[in-house]
Amino acid sequence: MKCRVFLLVIVLTGLAFAEPGTPYVYKNWRQFTVEDGLPNDHIFAVKSQGNHIWVGTENGLARIDKRSGKVESWTEAEGLPWRVVTGIDVNPRTGEVWLALFGGGLARFSAGRFDHWHQMNSGIVNDVAYGVAVQDEFVWVATTAGASRYNTVTKEWQIFTEKNAPMEEIWNYGVHYRDGKVHLAVWGSGVLEYDVATQRWKDYLDPDGEMEIDLYRDDGIIHVITTAANYIDKTLWVSTYFGACRYDGRNWRGYYNMDSGLASDFINNLRGRSEKEAWFATDKGASAIVDAATNTWVTYTRDANSATGRAVVTRDKTVIETVEMGLNLPHNYILAVDIDGNDVFVATSHGLAWGIGDGYYPGLRPESTVSQDVRRNQP
Amino acid sequence: MKRASLSLLLLLIALPAQEVPPGVEVDAHTLEVLRLINTKNPNHVPALGLQEESAYARTADDVTPFGAVKPYKQHFLLQMEYTGPGRAIPEPQNVDSVKIGFIGPIAPTVSVATGGASHEEALGKKMLQGAQLSIEHANQRGGYLRRKVPFELVVANDNGLWGSTGNEVINMVYTQPTWAILGTIDSANSHIAIRVALKAEIVMVNTGDTDPTFIETNIPWVARNIGDDRQMGYLLVDYLIRKRNLRRIGIIRASNRYGRFGVREIKDSARRLGQPVVIEMAYRLGGDDYSLQVDRLKEAGVDAVIHWGNAREAAIILNQLRAAGMNQPYFCSDRCISSEFTHLAGHNAEGVMAGSPWNPLREDPKLAAFQKAFRSRFGEEAETYAAHAYDGMNLLIWSIQVAGLNRAKIRDILATRATPWPGVTGDIPLTSVLDDGGDVFLGEFKRGAWIYHAREDLDIPRGITSAEAKR
Repeated sequence: MKCRVFLLVIVLTGLAFAEPGTPYVYKNWRQFTVEDGLPNDHIFAVKSQGNHIWVGTENGLARIDKRSGKVESWTEAEGLPWRVVTGIDVNPRTGEVWLALFGGGLARFSAGRFDHWHQMNSGIVNDVAYGVAVQDEFVWVATTAGASRYNTVTKEWQIFTEKNAPMEEIWNYGVHYRDGKVHLAVWGSGVLEYDVATQRWKDYLDPDGEMEIDLYRDDGIIHVITTAANYIDKTLWVSTYFGACRYDGRNWRGYYNMDSGLASDFINNLRGRSEKEAWFATDKGASAIVDAATNTWVTYTRDANSATGRAVVTRDKTVIETVEMGLNLPHNYILAVDIDGNDVFVATSHGLAWGIGDGYYPGLRPESTVSQDVRRNQP
Repeated sequence: MKRASLSLLLLLIALPAQEVPPGVEVDAHTLEVLRLINTKNPNHVPALGLQEESAYARTADDVTPFGAVKPYKQHFLLQMEYTGPGRAIPEPQNVDSVKIGFIGPIAPTVSVATGGASHEEALGKKMLQGAQLSIEHANQRGGYLRRKVPFELVVANDNGLWGSTGNEVINMVYTQPTWAILGTIDSANSHIAIRVALKAEIVMVNTGDTDPTFIETNIPWVARNIGDDRQMGYLLVDYLIRKRNLRRIGIIRASNRYGRFGVREIKDSARRLGQPVVIEMAYRLGGDDYSLQVDRLKEAGVDAVIHWGNAREAAIILNQLRAAGMNQPYFCSDRCISSEFTHLAGHNAEGVMAGSPWNPLREDPKLAAFQKAFRSRFGEEAETYAAHAYDGMNLLIWSIQVAGLNRAKIRDILATRATPWPGVTGDIPLTSVLDDGGDVFLGEFKRGAWIYHAREDLDIPRGITSAEAKR
């Protein structure tokens, strides 16, 4: 009996000190810039759907064929209603591409034709649109003066502002729909959650109520100046210009550069992949928390003076591994991220990066179970 | 591959600093910044040396939020930086004029704040005059000196309805386009404008919005050269509580963002000093009868009344307080320092005190010359909004003259200025969040005129920060 207890203690102690495992690191990257046919290198939005990557730039829309790498583009000369595309979503049922236009309202690209909704011909609340999300037959638009929802069946518009939603401020920044919930990231008003079934709103605010501090890291949203909110696997991921946070429905967890692998606290956007993984578009690289339970991150940056890049794996603030690689990101100022299957797509202010996830695995794996080929996932 | 390597090699070769045109004052520090930002490599992020502070907004320990608890994270202590590729964008070849945007409330419209007539045109028009005068003075000195072309003001009305400020800034960025923007006054509209400026990467200097939260957004593209309501609030609290020990303070304010955010630091600081505001009444703008609010203030037995709103309401409320037999000291926000207030308040104005972001009576040849030029150009007196717009536009023009026609470099030059900008409103040291860290004052209407007191003039005590305590 004594022997068994001793063995159990040994095993438990071993488990406690065992490395939790190693995350997948993307090493195979492709880049797209104006030299490849993009209409502009300053990329605000990216959306991968099927065989296509849709790219919203400061001067036009592009579509990359994943199989051939061919780039098609549309500027105002080709019918795009306004030059700056800040948000993209695709209706999975119809294939329609919806575009948030920065100063131009909302556009739909379908069957080679653009349709345009703006303040002068529709019920959209403002033309300065930052994000768009398709929810069934509805299209949500995050604008600088509230959120608008367009019913594509009845052609009706609905506006959400401080008058009919718990918006302390109306400066909407991001919108996301998944699993029956619409989430709005509202500058100065945290995150608003709209339950489609009950048509009720819920707000998430910084509990300390102060702009200049975060009193406690894990007491709620870390700051009300939010930039994006993604809901996936019943987990809410939030980005702000002050750091990031995660809410699993019961507990909040904040993330800062000083206590995690987050490259910077200035986060322009995010894409949640699962309850454990999310990618953050920071001004100093693309940071992915790959295992929330162990606070394990992989941050991708490029070298400023050579065509090389690196990935730094961290747990809390400890660097576990640095993986040198060829060029990964065209630039470290990241504006948006999308994830499709095993692949990731990173919109930067100087080109697009496509991380090809051959052999991708979620979370962590013990080093011994990860073959060198997969670990290094050489192209 | 070879071509790429060669390109990279060329990029590594240090570029000579751009020459600053003669007549543009520039110190060694700025010249070094100019050398560092002079890059053709879009991936290069220059190490510009970020400003760091020990206490945000010099907030004293005893009025710091949750002062007994060390917060997990303190924001705004380290200056934001711009890490994008904008510095590598070459200056355009053909330029007929250098456009600078102006957005402010200059035409009557329907106000979101009042639900009726708009109310900030008087301030906006003055702001426009100040900006215009600055542009005219710059053009008299030769315009944009690198090209010998004039500066041109692109003017937009800050309508405010349905977020139209955002549309106007979009127009200034993509259609005109402008190289930098000055504006605006309304706090909500200012927030909308800077969100666009951040995405579009253009410098925005604010000269008329005193909302403390305006600058508390972590945007590296935004600066402000007017003392804000936080600083004026701290001074009022120090005067009312630390100096005069007035225990029962009542607040009456406009029911809009200006009123709501304007008094926030006063309320919080008073509470943290153990003398919480006993009553806060909000009113709708544009009304004439404030008897309900006056009755409540009277019932509360206040020792002093603080008003935060526009000049018109400040005067009407003051008159109604006095008519109700309330002779308590009356304190205001800076907007009551105006002829409209003193005209409407009449003899009741005597003794009223107000926060002021500057001292217009300061003896300074620069200020005197500005006031004379303003009077000559517009046949009116320059006031707070005109003077600060003049300073803000001068600062922008200086940044453009030094940096050249590149939005990111204009930002860098402005954001890294090591010495205070010598404005007509006084020295303007920019803080780590690029806010105006200069002195604010207490205005007092005495014997028919406004006079201005510095903190030291009245021996107003100040709370100290931890860093000051250590020293």
